[in-house]
Amino acid sequence: MKRIYFKIIIIGALLSMACTTKVSEWVLLNSVPDTYLLVYFHKNEISETIKKQHSEIENQFQTANILLKTMQRDEVEKPYYALYFNNRLIKENIDENQLENLTFSPLRETVANELMNGKLCVMLYLKCGIPEKDEKGLEVVKNSVAASPYADVITVLELDRKNMEESQLVSLLLNVEDDLKEINEPMLFGVFGKFRALEPLLAKGISQENINLMIGFFTADCSCIIKDDLPGSSILYNGVWENPQTALVNKILDANPNLEHH
Amino acid sequence: MKQDTIGYDSLEVRPLPKWLTDQRDGLNTWQPQKLEMKEDHSLQISLISTGIVILITVVILTIYFLRKNKKV
Repeated sequence: MKRIYFKIIIIGALLSMACTTKVSEWVLLNSVPDTYLLVYFHKNEISETIKKQHSEIENQFQTANILLKTMQRDEVEKPYYALYFNNRLIKENIDENQLENLTFSPLRETVANELMNGKLCVMLYLKCGIPEKDEKGLEVVKNSVAASPYADVITVLELDRKNMEESQLVSLLLNVEDDLKEINEPMLFGVFGKFRALEPLLAKGISQENINLMIGFFTADCSCIIKDDLPGSSILYNGVWENPQTALVNKILDANPNLEHH
Repeated sequence: MKQDTIGYDSLEVRPLPKWLTDQRDGLNTWQPQKLEMKEDHSLQISLISTGIVILITVVILTIYFLRKNKKV
């Protein structure tokens, strides 16, 4: 009987810990990134060279949230790759040379490293190319983060929409929502977990109040409501998410219990 | 991606992300279960089942005693 009581106490303790884990930490530890689909469209039989190439690609994609499939269609004149996410076309006419940059880029690696090092989130500021708007928005972001008690555990990174090296990342971010590509305004993406990007704040929505709400979302106790319907969209990334550092936000909360909110 | 974007005329009236409005309105936090009144049929079920049991008992006992009396 004593063993049963002991087990009940242990399970109770684990459950109570689960409810006090912060959203950002819970998502990093428990959520699985949504999978992208790369389709190779072709008309004729696949040659041995292409089969070998696909085998190499699949090996490369082992740690990425992407699957490779082939599809034979009569109307295809020249074979090509197309990228889909949740049955939605993200990019088509991708050639072999672009595949390498599809899942990996320097900025994505930086973001992933920050998250793996225990940061609460990465605020990715996507510039629109209009200096007045970009500078105004960036100032609001920097001031808001600096004023937050969580400033030390938030990383702000900037990304130019016309950055060729990060063109795939820009494309993925602009596909987080259907209409983002048509909006030429600065955008602020809250990136957390295993490279999940929240629907962005944009234009006048980049305000101190909204940035504080974003921080509040990441620092909230993870409720079943959030777990069941996780907002945002997974970004395609090839990286290992094992053994992340302990969430740095917990140190801040331990030192300042008044910051706890439920 | 799950964010529903409805048609809008200008950026001013573009809907805010759901996570933002939920966070603002406190909907991301744990909500107590809403208690709703449901119709209670337990008394009727109890009466009907008791009646059925009594009827079956009466029928079985009647058959039993009738058969017993015939043999005598």
